[in-house]
Amino acid sequence: MLRFIIRRVLWLLLVLFVVLLITFILMHLVPGGPWDREKALAPKVIAALNQRYGLDKPLWQQFLNYIGGVLHGDLGVSYSQSDRTIVSLLAHGLPKTLTLGILAFVFAQAIGIPFGVAAALKQNSAIDYASVLFATLFASIPGFVLGILLMIVFSVTLHWLPTSGWGSIQQVIMPVFCLAALPAAQTARITRASTLDVMRQDYVRTARSKGILESNIRVRHIFRNSLIPVITIAGPMLADLVTGSFIIENLFAIPGVGRMFVQGIFARDYTLIMGGILFYAFTIAFLNLVVDILYGAIDPRIRYE
Amino acid sequence: MTAPANTVVAERPHHTLWGDAWVRLRRNKLAMAGGIFIILLALAAIFAPLLTPYTFAKQNYSAILQGPSWAHPMGTDQLGRDTFARLLYGARTSLAVGIFTQFIVICIGLPIGSIAGYAGGKVDNYLMRFVDVMYAFPDILLVILLRSVLGGSIFNIFLAIGLVAWVNIARLVRGQIMSLKSRDFITASRAMGGMGRHITWRHLLPNALGPVIVSITFNVPRAIFTEAALSYIGIGVQPPTPSWGTMIQDGFGLIFAKPYMLLFPAIALALLMLAFTFLGDGLRDALDPKLRR
Amino acid sequence: MAPLLEVRNIKTYFHTQDGIVKAVDGVSYDVNRGETIALVGESGCGKTVSALSILRLVAEPAGKIVSGEIVFNGIDLLKLSDTEMHKMRGAKISIIFQEPQTSLNPVLTIGRQISEALEFHKNMSVHEGMQEAVHLLKLVGIPHPERRIYDYPHQFSGGMRQRVMIAIAISCQPQLIIADEPTTVVDVTIQAQLLELIRNITKDLNTSLILITHNLGIVARYAKRVFVMYAGNIVESGSALDVYHYPCHPYTVGLLASVPRLDEPRKIRLQPIEGQPPDLIFPPAGCAFQERCAYAIPQCQNEKPKLTEITPNHYAACWVSQKGSRPWQKS
Repeated sequence: MLRFIIRRVLWLLLVLFVVLLITFILMHLVPGGPWDREKALAPKVIAALNQRYGLDKPLWQQFLNYIGGVLHGDLGVSYSQSDRTIVSLLAHGLPKTLTLGILAFVFAQAIGIPFGVAAALKQNSAIDYASVLFATLFASIPGFVLGILLMIVFSVTLHWLPTSGWGSIQQVIMPVFCLAALPAAQTARITRASTLDVMRQDYVRTARSKGILESNIRVRHIFRNSLIPVITIAGPMLADLVTGSFIIENLFAIPGVGRMFVQGIFARDYTLIMGGILFYAFTIAFLNLVVDILYGAIDPRIRYE
Repeated sequence: MTAPANTVVAERPHHTLWGDAWVRLRRNKLAMAGGIFIILLALAAIFAPLLTPYTFAKQNYSAILQGPSWAHPMGTDQLGRDTFARLLYGARTSLAVGIFTQFIVICIGLPIGSIAGYAGGKVDNYLMRFVDVMYAFPDILLVILLRSVLGGSIFNIFLAIGLVAWVNIARLVRGQIMSLKSRDFITASRAMGGMGRHITWRHLLPNALGPVIVSITFNVPRAIFTEAALSYIGIGVQPPTPSWGTMIQDGFGLIFAKPYMLLFPAIALALLMLAFTFLGDGLRDALDPKLRR
Repeated sequence: MAPLLEVRNIKTYFHTQDGIVKAVDGVSYDVNRGETIALVGESGCGKTVSALSILRLVAEPAGKIVSGEIVFNGIDLLKLSDTEMHKMRGAKISIIFQEPQTSLNPVLTIGRQISEALEFHKNMSVHEGMQEAVHLLKLVGIPHPERRIYDYPHQFSGGMRQRVMIAIAISCQPQLIIADEPTTVVDVTIQAQLLELIRNITKDLNTSLILITHNLGIVARYAKRVFVMYAGNIVESGSALDVYHYPCHPYTVGLLASVPRLDEPRKIRLQPIEGQPPDLIFPPAGCAFQERCAYAIPQCQNEKPKLTEITPNHYAACWVSQKGSRPWQKS
């Protein structure tokens, strides 16, 4: 088990390196630079700025310097936000993004799993059709479209909820809901499909032939098997939520990492872009690793490979 | 012993794989509704000049920010452009993005996935490592980066989205081919002397195709959404090319004053994505040979 | 002595999108205490469904027992409430399924899967149940049972898994065990071992056994009476000896002829029964076997034969037999 973890961690580091490399290359392919302004600065000023930030060095050197810095925990300084360190910027935006993502995740599981299970256990009943319909609906409408529609209803028409900011419960409800709607729907669908599938398995019939209580059959035989795929997607889902929240952040003007990142792209703020990608790639890879390990703990067939 | 003439011999009708699938699909009302909506929208987009006297770019400063009226069924925006017209022409953009990105996805993903799946071994290993790295990027952010590199013409948008989306299809095709490779009927085909490439084309691809078709159908709304999101942030198609995402961005600032400006493109986007999802669901149910009822 | 189990005229139908499949269409058989009977027929003839019907394990809502009675120890099982039925399953009647590969829960330990029934029916704690599981595994011949109870199904071979299924089936000392093709998916050497194991256990515990199989080769040794099924009906029944030596139905003759025999020269070809079983949604008028039968007379096409006594305690549903002739009998 330990060897498995070590191998995966090393792989994670390699992937991060390649990701940063690709980002670096792409970034420098983007026309323009961090000093572009409406009114062009004097060439001397640009040269001085470049020198100050080490942007006059050859690209490969810049990249290696950056990697060196990362290994020391130094992600550089933002070019567009008056010299604030990337680390501090990330630290500022991270809690909001993480909270948003985690809240959405919890909401998605808390709604998705029970509905999916209920729909499967009572197939073809009212609750089944309703669940499937809602799940399909929310799985199709993207969060930000949902956000706009909700905003029109709750903010503009009813004046119940604010359209921006982060902190109070009223500000949190809509963004979390919008972000969670799609994963909740996906979770419900997968739970339902998986539970239906397991219910048809031979071993459920064996369990029933022993005469044990239906509730025991459900928990020990059905759910323990049917929730495995749900957990498998939970990891990537959480990663998706944390990294994909930036559109919602933009819509609701939440000062999280996503918004910061997009602004960085517009401003050609190299270090900000690299820092953002590093954060995202790391989060995704890390969460996937956690899920893989958990998966081994849950499904004994994997453990013995 | 043959059956005598007066015995009733009832037979169940036989279908082909695709014939069966089509019958099942037709039975699915939601999928059919989705399909019809898409076709109607496509027709409306294509015949937009016949449906509205305005173009998407025509500005009319004497008719700014009007609500829905006979002259302008969906109102006008801040530059006096007719919203209905922009919606129709914007549909062209959305549908074009949805469809053309899939061409790129197929052109890159299908061959790479097939090669990885069929060749196996080292080739497969390297390709899959590459896929792993691509997976570490959050999709949209990579699209944004690519778009920044490539520029804003609509063709570049196709490229940016397509270059990120092929990975999933490649993975899917590879998985399908690998699982089919070891199935019995391939062994049987080989035993009868089928050669390598011949095997792939005649036997593997038709069977692998089902989930791929479904996946592509689901990819279309994602591509449409990505374009809308890009346009909403401001780095999608450039004006004057109309896009529902741009309309949303334009309307956002006026959300309190003139909410209908946001409402129409948002609902249009939602409906289009719903339609594709229903269709995709229906296709998946129809093509699944292990149909469960 | 009244029989332990009487299946009376059971009809179990399945509703599918193509029509109603009459899987079991009026089947009756009985089992006495401590007796082993065999239910024989090819795949799809309804023998498994009739066994599942006994335990009311038929997959609803598509499948339904539409009529008939299943009398066990004097009680009609079809009239029991769900709770009462739960108390029957695993405790008084248990079943060994055909597919050991898929019949065990992959994420539960073997020990736990054995002790489950004990926990429920005998009120044992998990610990006590696991102890008993060790004992049961030893009984079915699995080495190192104290260790194996903590293992998972994928760590067992097919034959071992089937032994585990046997252990589960006997755990609460049932009065009746249904063995549904218990050896079809294992190889021949394991087959023999498993069958001997089942026989010894049922003898020791004086349990009745319904042995469901398509393999006539094993029936004679293990079963006292035989019921031959075809297309959802019993077509012949009697003692194993009678049915073997003096079959009264052409289908049985066909089954007997298709068994490969060690005492015949290898050059002799296997004799399959020509043709296919009939469509159970639109069964033919008249005898269901008639299309494949070499001895059919005109009456067979028009009227469906009923199960009638040909010689004492030997029944067959065949017009030819009922008329008194047996053209297939060589001696």
